[in-house]
Amino acid sequence: MAEEGQVIGCHTEEAWSEQLQKGNDCNKLIVVDFTASWCGPCRFIAPFLAELAKKLPNVTFLKVDVDELKSVATDWAVEAMPTFMFLKEGKIVDKVVGAKKEELQQKIAKHVSTASA
Amino acid sequence: MAISGFEGFEKRLELNFSGDDPVIGIGLRQLDFESLEEVLHAVQCTVVSAVGNQYFDSYVLSESSLFVYPTKIIIKTCGTTQLLKSIRPLILLACDHLGLSLCGCRYTRGSFIFPKAQPYPHTSFREEVIFLEENLPSHVCYRKASVMPSSSSHHLWHVFSASDESHMAVQHSPDDMLFTIEVCMTELDRVLARKFFRRLDDGKNGDTAGKEMTEITGINNINSNATICDFAFDPCGYSMNGIDGDRYSTIHVTPEDGFSYASFECVGYVYDDHDDIVEVLKKVVKVFRPATMSVSTTCISSEVLNRVTKMIQPQGMKCRSCTMDDFPAARSVAFQTFTSRRK
Repeated sequence: MAEEGQVIGCHTEEAWSEQLQKGNDCNKLIVVDFTASWCGPCRFIAPFLAELAKKLPNVTFLKVDVDELKSVATDWAVEAMPTFMFLKEGKIVDKVVGAKKEELQQKIAKHVSTASA
Repeated sequence: MAISGFEGFEKRLELNFSGDDPVIGIGLRQLDFESLEEVLHAVQCTVVSAVGNQYFDSYVLSESSLFVYPTKIIIKTCGTTQLLKSIRPLILLACDHLGLSLCGCRYTRGSFIFPKAQPYPHTSFREEVIFLEENLPSHVCYRKASVMPSSSSHHLWHVFSASDESHMAVQHSPDDMLFTIEVCMTELDRVLARKFFRRLDDGKNGDTAGKEMTEITGINNINSNATICDFAFDPCGYSMNGIDGDRYSTIHVTPEDGFSYASFECVGYVYDDHDDIVEVLKKVVKVFRPATMSVSTTCISSEVLNRVTKMIQPQGMKCRSCTMDDFPAARSVAFQTFTSRRK
């Protein structure tokens, strides 16, 4: 399976739960990108996110299309795109709403350092 | 007044299109980012942050804002950007790539603080109108340019509006029920303006510094339902876009003394409770306490326009002038100016 160094698309609820479980088991920081095909700002940030994923193999990057996994997006109260949720040990520890490169990068750095501390 | 400085007054362009497939319905939002980037490059600005929802996409730019709806694009830029250079590429993209057709265009701006610093085609309103006329397709043939006066020769409202024959239709589109409010404020309260400066080496990035400014200035209370995308520039200056359902709002601040400026823009529906907009403007005035302020309201119904303009009476400010004019696509524009009582 292609995994490390990539943004992993979760196209079914099964794949989504499986990825979450996996992340929890190995105690990694998970960053979930809630995105939509019709959202311009999501296309703006996508290449940047792919770069981050390449640079940070110790972080799991997941991508959820809000139309594909409607129930997940509703459960997580995603209203604006892109929304980035930060998960650790199954809990939401932070969130970035919008394509904000600097904030995204800074929050990842913050949570990675607390994970390894 | 300073001899030269950053031009806060924005130029604003709105293009309306028809022919979007109502089934897919994402129209202009399909445009790939590279295409948008090229347009912005011609204007001389870049995207600093962005957010979208099911109705539209909003971009905070290095010089103001861009909003993309399925059939409408609004681009607002300040400084010495060449906004009108976006017209031709935007129309090309929409028409050739997406099969849409331009049905309306509106260009508005206030009076520049540093008019001599503006590059072509923004050297004068006359030049701008010639440029617009030359770059619009011929079927958008109902055109009018007007400079709306106020009690001061330094505060004029420049409007160019063009439309095809679709505005003759009896059936109005939902967009026709919208009104737009553009507020320009100058000579901001110095103490309040300081809040839009960053501390030297604050160790923050533009996103987090912007978020902080949104909170400490009370901008987050203007519409607490809105999702805000904000950005603080270094060493000073601030921009934000608010998205709330299908409505946007936007604020841009140039806080430097001598040429301080802030703008606020939002949309409302004619069937809204007009008290809401009055409340919103009250909060905006409180954030900046400007010495002078202009409010331009654009609406299809002159009756609503009359009602709204009568209600706009920002606290501590005195109305100095109110003028109205009618434009193609049956739109009316009201231009009001106010000065603070402390003046």
